[in-house]
Amino acid sequence: MQEVLRSLNRFWPEVVLTVGLLVVVLVDTIRVRGRDVANWLLTMATLAAAFVLTVRLGTQSTGLFEGMLALDPMGIFFKLLLIGSSLLVVGAFRFEGSRELRGLGQGEFYALMLAVTFSNLLLAAANDLAMLYLALEMVSITSYVMVAYLKGDRLSNEASLKYILFGAVSTGAMLYGLSLLYGMTGSTSLPVIRQVLAAGLTDANRLTVYVVALFVFAGFGFKTASVPFHFWCPDVYQGAPTPVTAFLSVAPKAAGFAIMLRFFFGGMAVEGTGAWDLAGTIDWPHVLMLVSVLTMTVGNVAALTQTNMKRLLAYSSIAHAGYIMMGVVALSENGARGMMVYLLAYVFMNLGAFLVVTLVHNQDGTFDLRDYPGLSRRAPLLTVAMAIFLLSLMGIPPLVGFMGKLYVFAAIIEKGSSYWWFAVVGAVNAAIAAFYYARILKTMIIDAGNEEKPAFRLPLADSAWIVLLILGNVVPLFLWRYVETLTRASLSLYAGR
Amino acid sequence: MIGLPHYLTASAALFTLGLLGVLTRRNAVNVLMGIELILNSANLNLVAFSRYGTGNLQGQLFAVFVVVIAAAEVAVALAIVLTLYRLRRTPNLDEADFLRG
Repeated sequence: MQEVLRSLNRFWPEVVLTVGLLVVVLVDTIRVRGRDVANWLLTMATLAAAFVLTVRLGTQSTGLFEGMLALDPMGIFFKLLLIGSSLLVVGAFRFEGSRELRGLGQGEFYALMLAVTFSNLLLAAANDLAMLYLALEMVSITSYVMVAYLKGDRLSNEASLKYILFGAVSTGAMLYGLSLLYGMTGSTSLPVIRQVLAAGLTDANRLTVYVVALFVFAGFGFKTASVPFHFWCPDVYQGAPTPVTAFLSVAPKAAGFAIMLRFFFGGMAVEGTGAWDLAGTIDWPHVLMLVSVLTMTVGNVAALTQTNMKRLLAYSSIAHAGYIMMGVVALSENGARGMMVYLLAYVFMNLGAFLVVTLVHNQDGTFDLRDYPGLSRRAPLLTVAMAIFLLSLMGIPPLVGFMGKLYVFAAIIEKGSSYWWFAVVGAVNAAIAAFYYARILKTMIIDAGNEEKPAFRLPLADSAWIVLLILGNVVPLFLWRYVETLTRASLSLYAGR
Repeated sequence: MIGLPHYLTASAALFTLGLLGVLTRRNAVNVLMGIELILNSANLNLVAFSRYGTGNLQGQLFAVFVVVIAAAEVAVALAIVLTLYRLRRTPNLDEADFLRG
C-alpha cells in the first residue's frame, strides 16, 4: 500500500491523462451543441496539464509500482517529447475544413489520442517484460483503431487490416522471445535480467540469448518501422487519415526507440565491460548496423519513385528511422544523445511536412505530387513552410534537422575508423534523400500549372500552426545551450528495481 | 514423466504452426487463428517456465495479461475484418490490394 501511494505520487501525468480520457468519453455522450469544441479544449488542457506535471517531476530516478515502471531523466525526456507531439497533432490538425474527417465523431478521436498518449508514456517507462509487452500492445491496438477511423473508406480499413495482421505477428514473435528470456533468467524485471546476464552464461545459452534478442527486436522493429519489419508502413501511412499518419510517424516511433534504449541499455548490457557490451561476446552492434543501413537505403530508394505525398513521406520516415538507429549502433552516451536530438527535430519537421500535405488536401482534395505545380503562386506561405520542413528533413545546416544528423554522425565517427564506412553510407543516403525532397520543392516552385484553380484560402488558425511549426524548426538553434543541457541531463537510466 | 523439455517442444511446434498458418492462409479469420496459436505458444512457455524452471509466479502473471491482450487484439481485428467484409464482400486477404506501389 505504501509503495502504491508512493508511486501514485509520481504518476500524476498518467493519472491526469486517464481522467481526461474518461471525461472526454462522457462529454461525447451528451448530445449538446458545442461538445466538439468542449472536447477539443478538454483534450488540449489535459495534455498541457500532463506536460506541466511531467516537467515538475524534475530529475528523479526511482522505480514505480514494485519495479514495473522506471522513473528516470531519460524517461522524462521521452515523456515530454511524446506528450508534446500529441499536443501538436491535436492542435494543428483541425477537424474544421478537413476533407477526410468531415462529419466524423470528434470525441472518439480525442479519446483515442489520449489513450495512445497514455500508453506511449507507459512504453517509454516500462522496466519489466510484462509491462513492456502490455504497453507495446496498448499503443498498437489503439493505433489500429485510429488507422481505421474512416469507417466507410476502403483504403483506411484495408490499411488497418494490414497493420493489425503485421503487428500481431511481430509482437507475437516478440512475446515468444520474451517468454524464453524469462525462462533463461528467471525474472521478468529488466534490471534483474541484466544482473543474471552479467553473471555469465554458458556457451549454449549465449546463442539462445542472441536468438531471443532477434525475436524481441521484431517488436521494436515493427514499432519503429525498421527493415525488415517495415512492410506495413507505406500502406498504413497512405490509407490512414493524415492526422493519424502524422501522429504514427512521430510518437510511436519515438516510444519504440525509447524502449529499445531501455531494453538494450537497461536489460541486456553488462556492467563493467563497458556500459553497452551485450552479454559478453555477442556482437549486437553489427546486427543493428546492418538493420540501420538496410532501413535507410530501402526507405530512400523506394521514396525516389513515389508520387503520392503520404506514401513518399512514409518511405522518408522509414529512412529517418535508419538514421536514428545509428545512435543505437554507436552504443555510447553520445549515440543516445544523438537519438534524442534527432527525435526532437524530427517531431517538428515531419509534423510540419504532413500539415502542409493536409492543408493542400483540404483545399484541392489531392495527395498527388503531380497536382502540386503552381502552389508557390497560389499559397506562398505554405510553400515557404514546406521548403523549411523539407530542408530540415534533408539536414541542411541552419535548421534543426541538421543538428540531429550532426549528433548521430558524430557519435558514429568517434567510434573509430572501423565505423567510418557506416557514416559514409549514411552520408550517401542523405544525398539520395536530398534528391526526392528537392523534387517536391521543384514541383511546387518551378513547375507551371493549375493557374485556373480557385485561389487558395488558408484559415488564420492553420497559418498560425504552420508558423508555430516553422519556429519549432528554427528557434531551438538559438536556444541550443538549453537543448544541450537538457539532453545531457537526460542521459541517465534507472538501473535498480 | 513429463517435464520442461516436453512443454518447450510443444510450444515451439505451436509457434511454427501458427506462423505457417499466418503465412499460408488466404482467409483473414484463419490468419487470426494462426496469430492466436503464436500467442498461446508463448503462454505455454511462460507457464511451464514458471512451474518447472524459475520457481516464481511472474510468468503466470505475465500469461494472464497476455490472455487479456490477445482477446482485445482479436476483438479489434475481427471488427476491422467485418467492416472490410461489408465494403468488399470478401474475407480474403489477397483481394485487399488497393494500396500498393
